[in-house]
Amino acid sequence: MAEFLQSIVKRSPWIYRINAGSCNGCDVEMATTALIPRYDVERLGCRYCGSPKHADIVLISGPVTAVVREKVLRVYDEIPNPKVVVAVGICPISGGVFRESYSIASQLDAYIPVDVNVPGCPPRPQAIIDGIAMAIEIWRKKF
Amino acid sequence: MNIADFLVNALLFPGGLFAVLLGLFLTGLDRKIYARLQRRVGPPIYQPCIDVVKLSQKEMVIPKTANYTAFRLAPLLGFAGMLAATAIIPVAGIYSGLYQSGDLLVVLYLLSAPALALVIGASASGSPYSSIGLSREISIMLAYEVPLLLVFFTIAMRVGMALGGTAIFSLSSIVNFQLSHGSLLFDVTLLPAFVAFLICIPGTLGVVPFDIPEAETEITEGPLLEYSGMGLAMFKLTGGLKMLVLAALTVALFFPVGFGDFWLVNLVWFIFKCILVMFFTTTLIRAMQARMRIDQAYKFYLLVPTALALVSLVLTATSFRVG
Amino acid sequence: MIRFFKVILKNIIQGPSTIKYPFEDSPAPEKLRGKIVHNADACVACHLCEYVCAGGAIKMQESEDHQGIDFVVWHDTCTFCGLCEYYCPTKAIHLTNDYHTAHVQADKYNYVEKTFVKKQPCICCGEPMVPISPAMVEQIYGQEGDIRGLSKMCPQCRRKILWKGGVSKS
Repeated sequence: MAEFLQSIVKRSPWIYRINAGSCNGCDVEMATTALIPRYDVERLGCRYCGSPKHADIVLISGPVTAVVREKVLRVYDEIPNPKVVVAVGICPISGGVFRESYSIASQLDAYIPVDVNVPGCPPRPQAIIDGIAMAIEIWRKKF
Repeated sequence: MNIADFLVNALLFPGGLFAVLLGLFLTGLDRKIYARLQRRVGPPIYQPCIDVVKLSQKEMVIPKTANYTAFRLAPLLGFAGMLAATAIIPVAGIYSGLYQSGDLLVVLYLLSAPALALVIGASASGSPYSSIGLSREISIMLAYEVPLLLVFFTIAMRVGMALGGTAIFSLSSIVNFQLSHGSLLFDVTLLPAFVAFLICIPGTLGVVPFDIPEAETEITEGPLLEYSGMGLAMFKLTGGLKMLVLAALTVALFFPVGFGDFWLVNLVWFIFKCILVMFFTTTLIRAMQARMRIDQAYKFYLLVPTALALVSLVLTATSFRVG
Repeated sequence: MIRFFKVILKNIIQGPSTIKYPFEDSPAPEKLRGKIVHNADACVACHLCEYVCAGGAIKMQESEDHQGIDFVVWHDTCTFCGLCEYYCPTKAIHLTNDYHTAHVQADKYNYVEKTFVKKQPCICCGEPMVPISPAMVEQIYGQEGDIRGLSKMCPQCRRKILWKGGVSKS
């Protein structure tokens, strides 16, 4: 039964993105994966949703700045279980070019359990789709 | 009518399970065609069913500020209203409605049930975005109910006067009248009313030019913001049912005539007509138009469809006075 | 309205333009800056790449046993800007067009390009040193090739030889 459920559920991951102080480069690429007909993630069953309460997969971009950190944690807590986190771009993964800056406390996985990393500055839309596909595989095992 | 028939009609076919599945199928088809119009591949047609299964398996987060009872029960209210509406609307050649005196005005009340459920749920959730969404939902509901009522009244008068009486609000009588006298769609005096009704459908469904209450990019899905898990699944089911109810209502009011007596042919023909209505009122408009502002939508509904419906009403009344 | 209708009609006729990406390969343009490859044989360990790296992704260190130099690029902090390739005198660093960068969290600190630039003893004094690569030799001396085996000497020996005999080609 659980396996049957997993095989159904993996076709409907809804995506929510959090901008944790990003320069918008990665956000543009994420919007591209959703909106441009060439990369259409909707064929995988994904949907970009506006509310964190509807989300399954969270895409986080940007180095987690000191100001935005509390908000990111709050929004992350609002997402119902089971959920999977994808760090998009090098900033949330390691701090990137902003590492050791005065306004950045630490990288993302110091606060939130990250499951998939998609490095790039910004990553290609195909790489983001790759990351989402990996995230779906991790996510469906949590049901 | 015996109890067994009643239960089968209300729970399996054509109300209940069958209606829910058909509604979800219509929603999926809408998304698929919409994607094709934008040169995308789009999700599979059964996508909404999967979404509902997944949502029912997710955790349901209830905000601390929410009123627990109202928050949990609001989705049920809309769903129940729509289920009742599917049981009332007759389908020519298959189903004659739950009550033979099934009333148009009851359908109008039931049509506002999902919107009211949204309003109750949103106000119970205690989120500021939800309250903006609910105020918009109420304004647009006030705007589209006026032309909707006028259209219903026009049709009731048309049928009633042709039968030599006053207005008849019984849905099954209207369908039976059309089965014997030909579809009302081909009546020139009712053409403006038909257009007005079609214009009201996207507003009732809350799709793109009129999705102001649930504007995803603007107020993050408004009334649905705080819902997750089972509650959201209920709202998705209600949305599918609403699309089916409106399509079935259009078919019943304007072109219910089917082929012969065999129920399967009639059913396929009915579904085809529903898809046609859905395509022209929802999918095509959604792909071509951008979202309006709430004041624009309000003005639009109080001007264009209302005027069209009034024209139709006057034409109907005068044609019978003279004739 | 009519114009939109035309666009929609055209879209239906042309069909979807989506690439089936995760299920089929999507070729990348030749000049795309993707994952970094390092050619240890061509590297002269000049540390220029480490100096210009914007994200601080490149690290060059003397290995613990002093047998060579460890070269590490951590892709998780690399901006793929291509500065290292631009400044590399021997073009030992190259940015391929491989963009498949997604990986799971367990691989985060293993997602590196790691090479080892081996030291060789100097042919004069035996001191271990990084040999000058054939690419560098060609850049310095042109087509004539390695002159008097200078590329296999440590800087001190090279200086001595040059002071004695100059750079004449004999």
